[in-house]
Amino acid sequence: MIEWSEQHQAIFSAFRRFVQQEIAPLRDELEHGTLPPYDVLRKMFATFGLKELAEMRFAKALEQDAAADRPASDSEQDDGVGGDMVAMQMIPIIELSRVSPGMVTALGVSAGLTAGTILSRGTRAQKERWGRELLTLDRIGAWAITEPGSGSDAFGAMTSTARRDGDEYLLNGNKTFITNGPYADTIVFICKLDEGNDPKVRKVLSFVLDRGMPGLTQSKPLRKMGLHASPTGELFLEDVRVGRERLLGETEEISYRTGAKDTFKTERTGVVAMALGIVEECLELCVNYAKTRVQFGKPIGEFQLIQLKIAKMEVARMNIQNLAFRLIELARKGKKMSLAEASACKLYCAGAASEVALEAVQLFGGNGYMAEYRVEQLARDAKVLQIYGGTDEIQVSQIARSLLE
Amino acid sequence: MKILVALKRVADPANHNKVKIPASGDRIDTAGLEWQINPFDLYALETALRLTENGKNPKKREGEVVVLTIGPKETETNLRSALATGADRAIRIEAVDEELDGRLVAHALAKIVEEEKPDVVMMGKQVVDSETNMVGQVLAELLDWPMATFAATIQEQPDGLLVEREVDGGVAKVKVTLPAVVTVDLRIVSPTSVRSKHTEAGFKYPYEEVRFAPLPAIMQAKKKPLAIKNLSELTPDLKSTTRYVKYEAPPGRKAGIKVKDVQELVQKLATEAKVI
Ligand SMILES: Cc1cc2nc3c(=O)[nH]c(=O)nc-3n(C[C@H](O)[C@H](O)[C@H](O)COP(=O)(O)OP(=O)(O)OC[C@H]3O[C@@H](n4cnc5c(N)ncnc54)[C@H](O)[C@@H]3O)c2cc1C
Repeated sequence: MIEWSEQHQAIFSAFRRFVQQEIAPLRDELEHGTLPPYDVLRKMFATFGLKELAEMRFAKALEQDAAADRPASDSEQDDGVGGDMVAMQMIPIIELSRVSPGMVTALGVSAGLTAGTILSRGTRAQKERWGRELLTLDRIGAWAITEPGSGSDAFGAMTSTARRDGDEYLLNGNKTFITNGPYADTIVFICKLDEGNDPKVRKVLSFVLDRGMPGLTQSKPLRKMGLHASPTGELFLEDVRVGRERLLGETEEISYRTGAKDTFKTERTGVVAMALGIVEECLELCVNYAKTRVQFGKPIGEFQLIQLKIAKMEVARMNIQNLAFRLIELARKGKKMSLAEASACKLYCAGAASEVALEAVQLFGGNGYMAEYRVEQLARDAKVLQIYGGTDEIQVSQIARSLLE
Repeated sequence: MKILVALKRVADPANHNKVKIPASGDRIDTAGLEWQINPFDLYALETALRLTENGKNPKKREGEVVVLTIGPKETETNLRSALATGADRAIRIEAVDEELDGRLVAHALAKIVEEEKPDVVMMGKQVVDSETNMVGQVLAELLDWPMATFAATIQEQPDGLLVEREVDGGVAKVKVTLPAVVTVDLRIVSPTSVRSKHTEAGFKYPYEEVRFAPLPAIMQAKKKPLAIKNLSELTPDLKSTTRYVKYEAPPGRKAGIKVKDVQELVQKLATEAKVI
């Protein structure tokens, strides 16, 4: 794939109009965290028929599950349809990210990460109980692995536990930085099975929790640097009692560690579309500003130092777009990136988006520092791409390890 | 009801600072401009869709909406987007923009109307590029059909359309029998402006613009029929009779002035600006 097709363009312009009409006017409320992003996202789903598409995807996943013993995550690998699905998922993300990367995060964690985890690891009953409504946004999902003492070393230092109690389990632990944590209806909680053994060798299990269960507390949104449209919070679990029907897969035998790579890959490649939206928006704003802002008697675009900034932004835009095209093309062929490749993608795109957005602030001068001109928000939002979903440093070590091993 | 909607592509009005006129002044340089459907024509499309559906079930078309444009191959993008929005099929008449004028367009449309036999031909009251505001009127004359221009509301009735038109000093109510030509004004997309006989009284559309095309419809638009005709075959003996003598950018705005008080403001409005 070397360019967006006419159909893709049509999808772009439809979403651009929606974002301009429905989301841009809410920017202040979203930025101040007074408006959770979910109703707007639901409106977007309703407007574009995404809800029906989600229902169809869900039905197809179940069907293929029944037909073959293939996992649901492989269901899109056929005759180019997968590529179209990937493109169709990317385009709304690109357009949304131009105005609100936070909304994309809230959406991605709910309908992507949380739903995806349940659909790939759950039993049929679990998929039906939680999967459909997460995909359609009728329920909001959160996915909780990070703890105050365990981030990059998510499995190693994890202290959340599940203890058997008859036929049931008692869950305990604290989770933090959890996207949608404050509002989630459905939570995938990842913890270790405590059998009195050495924590290092404990099995990692995941459970599905519902809002309001006794012993489960969801904090208020945490204050943070950016990404305000995405509520982030803490979870506290004190002897939350759950039956086996909440244990994902209803078996202790499959550790969460196996297959975690797939989750990481999806998360990491998802950053490509977000970075592309941020960079495209910054570039467009900067080009306009460079043409119209006059200093020393000429538009600042005539100064070479400003030209260098714009040229570098364009280079980043082309690189990120090519990675997006590569992801679509791979999906068309039924292929996926290796984990190291996905890490390289994320490392590059996250860094480029951060750098471009900061340079955009610089190009706008004092105005760039003011909220009204929007680039400062994009700069604060872009920074998170280098932290969540595995920090830059973790990506580096994974890329290097795969090359050196 | 079968409705033929005429669409014209125009340069995106948001591109106004990209419009260039070469020193010769003999044309507008359109290089680098983005194109979209004339906003009033989009309202006509929305109106046609509302007239051919039950507002509660917009997925089911009660009748047929055919969209038409006259222009080069690239305009098919605009037709596809109209198809995605809900039109059933499309017709493109091959022509280059420069060889067209309102009269020629009206004649070409009249030919298509002979073939298609729609109940209503619908379009925007004018285009936002040349602002000519004549195609609908000329077409009605050529066809000898009743017309309602500048429609602000339309109600379908057993024997035709009841149209409220925006006119100087108020609203004129007209009833047209079908077939008819209707051109629409911007108020036509208000939530209760258009009601087909399938839509129950009191129904309100939850938006005030042309509807969004759902993703599956965008994907399927490629499969809807798009026929291509040739302007030279439709109107072999006709040529544009409009000649553009010269293009010129409007003069830049002069800097404003500050006035001391209300009195001075009123005085200047009366004596200098002569607006009161
Ligand atoms: C806005 C936001 C939303 C989030 N959403 C979620 C969510 O929904 N669910 C969830 O579970 N988590 C979520 N997280 C958590 C996120 O995944 C972690 O913050 C991230 O993985 C880093 O962990 P940490 O914060 O504990 O940093 P640490 O791991 O403590 O890292 C601190 C620094 O040390 C570096 N470092 C750590 N280990 C190494 C090493 N081996 N080599 C070199 N350098 C190293 C890091 O790169 C970093 O620079 C979110 C975070 C944010 C900011």
